Amino acid sequence: MQHLDEGTIHSWLDGALSADEAVRVEVHVKECPQCAAAVAEARGFIAGSSRILTALDNAPRGVMPAAVARKRVDSIVWRVAATVLVVAAGTLVVVRNRGADEQLMSAKTERVTLSSQPSAATEQAPPGGGPASTSTAGTSPKAAGGGAPAIARSGVSAQRTTALAGQPAGVSGLAGAPTSQAPTFAPSRVAAVAAMDAAAEPERLKVVGSPQRIGANVTLYEVAPGDTVTLTESIPISLNSIVVRGAIRAPMAQQSVGKSAAAPSKGRADAATTVAQDSQRAGGISLAAPAVSAPIASQVEMANQLNAITWTDPITRTTLTLSGRMSEARLQELRIRIDRERAAAAAKKNP
Amino acid sequence: MTDVELLFRTYNAALVRYLTRRLGDRDWAEEVAQETFVRALRQTSIQNERAWLFAVATNLVRDEARKDMRRRKHLALLAEQEREEVVEPEETTLERAQEAAMARKAVDALAERDRLALLMREEGLDYNEIAEALQLSPGSVGTTLSRARRRLVESYEALQKNREEREKNAAS
Repeated sequence: MQHLDEGTIHSWLDGALSADEAVRVEVHVKECPQCAAAVAEARGFIAGSSRILTALDNAPRGVMPAAVARKRVDSIVWRVAATVLVVAAGTLVVVRNRGADEQLMSAKTERVTLSSQPSAATEQAPPGGGPASTSTAGTSPKAAGGGAPAIARSGVSAQRTTALAGQPAGVSGLAGAPTSQAPTFAPSRVAAVAAMDAAAEPERLKVVGSPQRIGANVTLYEVAPGDTVTLTESIPISLNSIVVRGAIRAPMAQQSVGKSAAAPSKGRADAATTVAQDSQRAGGISLAAPAVSAPIASQVEMANQLNAITWTDPITRTTLTLSGRMSEARLQELRIRIDRERAAAAAKKNP
Repeated sequence: MTDVELLFRTYNAALVRYLTRRLGDRDWAEEVAQETFVRALRQTSIQNERAWLFAVATNLVRDEARKDMRRRKHLALLAEQEREEVVEPEETTLERAQEAAMARKAVDALAERDRLALLMREEGLDYNEIAEALQLSPGSVGTTLSRARRRLVESYEALQKNREEREKNAAS
């Protein structure tokens, strides 16, 4: 059979082919690494263009009439973005805790490990290929498995979800990679990712965003529609290490601070690029959104009727601050729920 | 609830979003959407509602027709009610605004037919509906969409890269 043209691949992914044609395409994609790569690329374009178009919805007047329809897409995008950020932040902290010399080396090694992660579908990708092969590796668990046929059969909404569905799988696979180098840290991030996924279920607190702030993990939980609270977790370790280094080896420290702490432009972008490539283009593009929202938390704090409670996490010894526009009693109640979820995440880490 | 009200409640959100993405102006988008429903009111029967609505809205954008103020006012009232049930979005940050501007540029760079097909697809129209609304052959929708998506993502990424380089130059 001839190679598939791009239009056919998109029709297939959009569920627009007849059953016969869909089977024909599916069989071919399984056998042909080149077309499998093209399918992975097409998925990236589909997810990427959806994400780009979403950015147009902040048009003048700032009212979104499509609350219901948008939420479906948004929660996925946010979850993916949050996941990517958590992994990126994890990598940052791990990198910071090492010596400055070692840092470059290890960062490189990690990146190599990430891209050469063995996976079911690496065999599908042409060896040493261009960007197309990278995306295949990321999406392959889904593309090679049951994901693709499901798309062919299912309707519109299912198709969109599946277009993004490769990402969490891709990311947790990646998060596993640094484990050999940072045995204590990486698994907890994986657990956190799992917990975050679980958090999106009903009854649980929904994570709607995690704006990045240096020296703190910030998580936005949605308690009720339109009602969010902000959880800030300070990370004293990373700050200490910067201070210590600054005192002892000033030039080195500067370098490492420049590299890791000045994340917004470079460090994060690096860490993110690796993840983003594997988690398809959408991940890369969506990064900009949560990264940007750092000022949001501070704006929220300025608002009236804002209450905050602070406590220390017994396990991690970090200071947690929960703030939101609600009574302290309600915040305490939420704190219990958040603690429970954090504990569940920690339990997953150390069963 | 009259038929047009049902039609409005079912499709208004998608139609307004489609038009907003197309026009970059929400007020204008709502005006055109309302005009579309007014047109629907005059029809005795519509075979494929969604394809019909998107096709008419697309044509209205072309014609910039503005008629029938009274009915539009009634629909504006409905839109007002709907708006009240809706969550306000987060503050627009500078970076988000830049992102939107890049997205706008990338979308504007597409050929009109590619752009419309993609925007309709994003609102859930299937290939037959898109073909009907844009008077394409159903077989060419896949090719149109694949071209639109690739070009959109590629030009967005190019804009992103340009911006990063500019920022880097400004910093150094």
